Amino acid sequence: MLGFISARQVGLDDPLRLRRAESTQRVLSLELNKDRDVERIHGSGVNTLDIEPIEGRYMLSGGSDGVIVLYDLENLSRKPSYTCKAICTVNHPDVHRFSVETVQWYPHDTGMFTSSSFNKTLKIWDTNTLQPADVFNFEATVYSHHMSPVATKHCLIAVGTKSPKVQLCDLKSGSCSHILQGHRQEVLAVAWSPRYEYILATASADSGVKLWDVRRASGCLLSLDQHNGEKSKASSEAANTAHNGRVNGLCFTSDGLHLLTTGTDDRMRLWNSSTGENTLVNYGKVCNESRKGLQFTISRGCSPEFVFVPYDSTIAIYTVYSGELITVLKGHYSTVDCCVFQPNFQELYSGGRDCNILAWVPALREPVPDDDTEKQCLNPAYEDAWSGSDDEG
Amino acid sequence: MDQNLSQLVEDLTTSGEPQLNPEKMKELKKMCKSSDEHISHVYHLLMTQLNQEHAEIRFSAFQIVDELFSRSHQFRMLIISNFQEFLELTVETDFEQPLPPPMEVAKKLKKAAIQSVQDWHGKYGEAYKKLSLGYHFLKQNKKVDFQDVTARTLAERRREEQRQSRLENIYKEKVKTAEKEMEEMSQEIQAVLTEMKNCFHLLMPDPFDFALNDAEFEPTTHAKEDRPTSSASEQPVDHQPSFLGHTDDEQPCCSKDLPSISRCPKIDRTVGLPADPQEEADNKAAPNDEDYETFVRSHGLGSHKYTLSLEVSPAIQVHENEDNAAIINTISDAHKLISSKFLPSVQTWIQLFTRAGLRDDRLRRAIDLKSQLEATLQKYNKMNIDSKGRIRKVMKASDDEDDDEFVEVPEKEGYEPHIPDHLRKEYGLEPRSPPKALGRGAVARPSALSSRSQPRRSEEELDPTSAAATLKLIRDKLPKLPPLNTSATGNSEPAASGEPDNKKRKLEEEKAKAPIVPFGLDLYYWGQDQPTAGKILKFSSQHRFWAPNETEEEVENKEVAEMLKSRYITFAGKFEPVAHRCQAPMPDGRLCDRQDRFKCPFHGKIVPRDESGKPVNPEDRAREEKERFEKQAQQPEWQDPEFMREVEAATGVDLGSSRYDRKRKGGTKKGKKKKYPKLTDLKQQANTSRSRLEKKVFNKEAVKRVVSAMNRMDQKKHEKFANQFNYALN
Repeated sequence: MLGFISARQVGLDDPLRLRRAESTQRVLSLELNKDRDVERIHGSGVNTLDIEPIEGRYMLSGGSDGVIVLYDLENLSRKPSYTCKAICTVNHPDVHRFSVETVQWYPHDTGMFTSSSFNKTLKIWDTNTLQPADVFNFEATVYSHHMSPVATKHCLIAVGTKSPKVQLCDLKSGSCSHILQGHRQEVLAVAWSPRYEYILATASADSGVKLWDVRRASGCLLSLDQHNGEKSKASSEAANTAHNGRVNGLCFTSDGLHLLTTGTDDRMRLWNSSTGENTLVNYGKVCNESRKGLQFTISRGCSPEFVFVPYDSTIAIYTVYSGELITVLKGHYSTVDCCVFQPNFQELYSGGRDCNILAWVPALREPVPDDDTEKQCLNPAYEDAWSGSDDEG
Repeated sequence: MDQNLSQLVEDLTTSGEPQLNPEKMKELKKMCKSSDEHISHVYHLLMTQLNQEHAEIRFSAFQIVDELFSRSHQFRMLIISNFQEFLELTVETDFEQPLPPPMEVAKKLKKAAIQSVQDWHGKYGEAYKKLSLGYHFLKQNKKVDFQDVTARTLAERRREEQRQSRLENIYKEKVKTAEKEMEEMSQEIQAVLTEMKNCFHLLMPDPFDFALNDAEFEPTTHAKEDRPTSSASEQPVDHQPSFLGHTDDEQPCCSKDLPSISRCPKIDRTVGLPADPQEEADNKAAPNDEDYETFVRSHGLGSHKYTLSLEVSPAIQVHENEDNAAIINTISDAHKLISSKFLPSVQTWIQLFTRAGLRDDRLRRAIDLKSQLEATLQKYNKMNIDSKGRIRKVMKASDDEDDDEFVEVPEKEGYEPHIPDHLRKEYGLEPRSPPKALGRGAVARPSALSSRSQPRRSEEELDPTSAAATLKLIRDKLPKLPPLNTSATGNSEPAASGEPDNKKRKLEEEKAKAPIVPFGLDLYYWGQDQPTAGKILKFSSQHRFWAPNETEEEVENKEVAEMLKSRYITFAGKFEPVAHRCQAPMPDGRLCDRQDRFKCPFHGKIVPRDESGKPVNPEDRAREEKERFEKQAQQPEWQDPEFMREVEAATGVDLGSSRYDRKRKGGTKKGKKKKYPKLTDLKQQANTSRSRLEKKVFNKEAVKRVVSAMNRMDQKKHEKFANQFNYALN
């Protein structure tokens, strides 16, 4: 650390290098910190989380009881311990009646966010008034929606519903502009490429993952094949499969060059998003029993990038390109459904069915114990309480 | 040291006791205190023990955890790092992993664990994040009520609720049906109740409305109301009905009542209750002094010292007579109906309603009905209706009816030479004289008919349709024949009696000696020569041209001929019960009691033995000696199984004692020593009759056997009906 700083000072290193090293270091030391807490609002499981990309300060959470909560993550109290306060809770009658499956901030502004729910609607909210600005109705329950983070020429929201058709809702016109046909079963996850504004990835329960160029609505661009075309040629099956089970998670790397998918076959696969090739990175078993979409995340700005995947009631951290299991974060008492990474402070927030949103904060470096006096200022709960005399035991 | 630690933990956790051994615990704590390494070692040991599928082990392990948790920060960190699993193993947070048996200990464990988690949270909650998370998880997700002592979790409560609601639904249905039934039946019940009430009124009028209606009730009154004052009269009291109207005072025997009683004079005589003279002395008359004289005079009593005592028989008796028979009949019928039908059903309704938690009109109505029915029954019982005579009478009546209605009349067609005595009248015949007379006189002829009925009979004989005419006709046709078979046999006897006496006796003796054999062909042809016996007739071909060349028409078969004349008698000899016993000495010192004829299944050939069980013959003794020797050679003397087992237990080395055991006892004795004798044996608990049966029934082999047998049956069916398409199809 000191070496990095001095190298930076004398200008030997690229400034990015120090940042990368430090953020990697911080990600590796993520732990459940007693100083950071998230206010307990949800009365039932937390399905989805999203942190706004502008400041990284506000977080949205959607619960399976239809409640949407807005948290302020910034600690302005100048004290080490901080509880992320819920700024407001959206649970008035306008909110969804059933489980909120996805919430997402408008990528360019905190003035708007979107939420979709099992009550077959997608709602556009005005953050300041907390009133729905627009409502899209669908014929089936909505599993997932996504807005392109880089789009400047369009304003489309991709929506994956129980029907096999992916719908694109245009915010400008307030109507569904496209329907992408190709999947044979419900669409559990959708994600726009962070690199190309017209590229969309969709994952379905028919174990297929498709890449679309939305300018060309006649068919999909690519259908990912887990065997890279070797086996499927021999087999009579015409359709390529990405997994052997339902595919319920999609995540692009921050540069958009690779795509990660998870499926109920307890596998996670990394794909080259331009060629659609399976990179065959072996992550081992990634336990995944979710029947709905799974929200996982990839770190940003670390030198090997990390992926944070809900693994039953824990969160597993893998390196993205080598598939090495770094650590397992244990803290939830029930299945974890979503996690989101805050890149500015390298914090991780996760929500699970035990109604908790846990904040995983990098552990501070242990202060070097100078003398015995330092030990006494620790929390008295950490002290041992062996009874003094041997007689008492 | 590590060995020691694991041994200590194992000892502590497998003790099976609700409390930990304090000395061992102290030792363990001392060890843990010495180093952090020990603590982590103990932690792993304890987690393994907590994973055991035995609630007692888990409970003890949990107690150790509780002890150490409050003492060591290191230990706390370790436990909390894996708090999810800890809760799963102790508080049963995962319903796919229920706590292991035995149930009571598991419950205790859960309760203690929840209590501890609460305590820990109070003490260390803010310092250990995951602890407080776990606490909140239990509190909010699992809905563990930490105040609730029973510590039921949400799922349990839900299960309970579901059960409750299911029960409620069932009850609702039942209540509905019961309500309908009640609607239907209550009218009937009311009708029967009114009927019974009216019958009671008829039998015993109410004393209150008596004064008004005494005229009406006069004829039917036989008993009085069951109040204490009313005296029960055994006889009808037709001529004294007004008495009943007065006698509702509480103390009938007190002389205070004399004035009132005096209103109805001559009470003793009319009611028939004797005044007890012995009670005179203790019952003092205490009227007013002024009245004394007048009273005595006006009633024509000699003195005032009379005491009138009325003896009230506490039980009323209602006797049946012709007048009230119908009423009593009705009452008893109604009583039967109530006690056998209405009351049980009303009781079931009430039970149902109360169980269903009904508190409305329906329940009240059911209770009303029940109380009414019970009151009526009580009344009936108090009346003591004398129904013995009735029953007898009824029985008799029914017998008569049976006789009247169901006489089996033998079929007759024209000729009927023998007419039973009791039917003769019916046929218009005169009862025959006793058979004896008939036999002797042998004159069962028209002349035997008594003269009394003669004119009438002759009249009847003129009528061709009457039986008498037919009989006459027959008699005329068969004048010589004796009319009855009986008389014929009777006649032959005396004829034989004329032969000499000694000859007869000889015959008798011979008869007694002769064996009785079943009837057979040989007897049938006894003393006859059979011309065709043993000849087999072969019929020649009936064809005109096709006749066989030489056919013996008759073939004599000697065997067949013999058969007709011979008789096979098998003589198997007489059964002789076995008198001797096996007498071989048994291990318990007794002698074998089996009574086999030649060979005992346990001790071989039966040889004569003395009282101590030793064979009498020297060669037998030698043989037995030899056998014993051979057996001993198989199992050396020093390998006494008992002793060996002890040695094994002490040294832990298998010397093979179980081998002999198995050989000797057929492997019935349990071979393996239990590992932890102090723990509750789960296998023992699971060893119920049901599980044993299950083992048998659901045994793979057994199932396979059954399946194959059933398949075979199916196969057979197919083979049998393979040609029929509807069998071929399935």
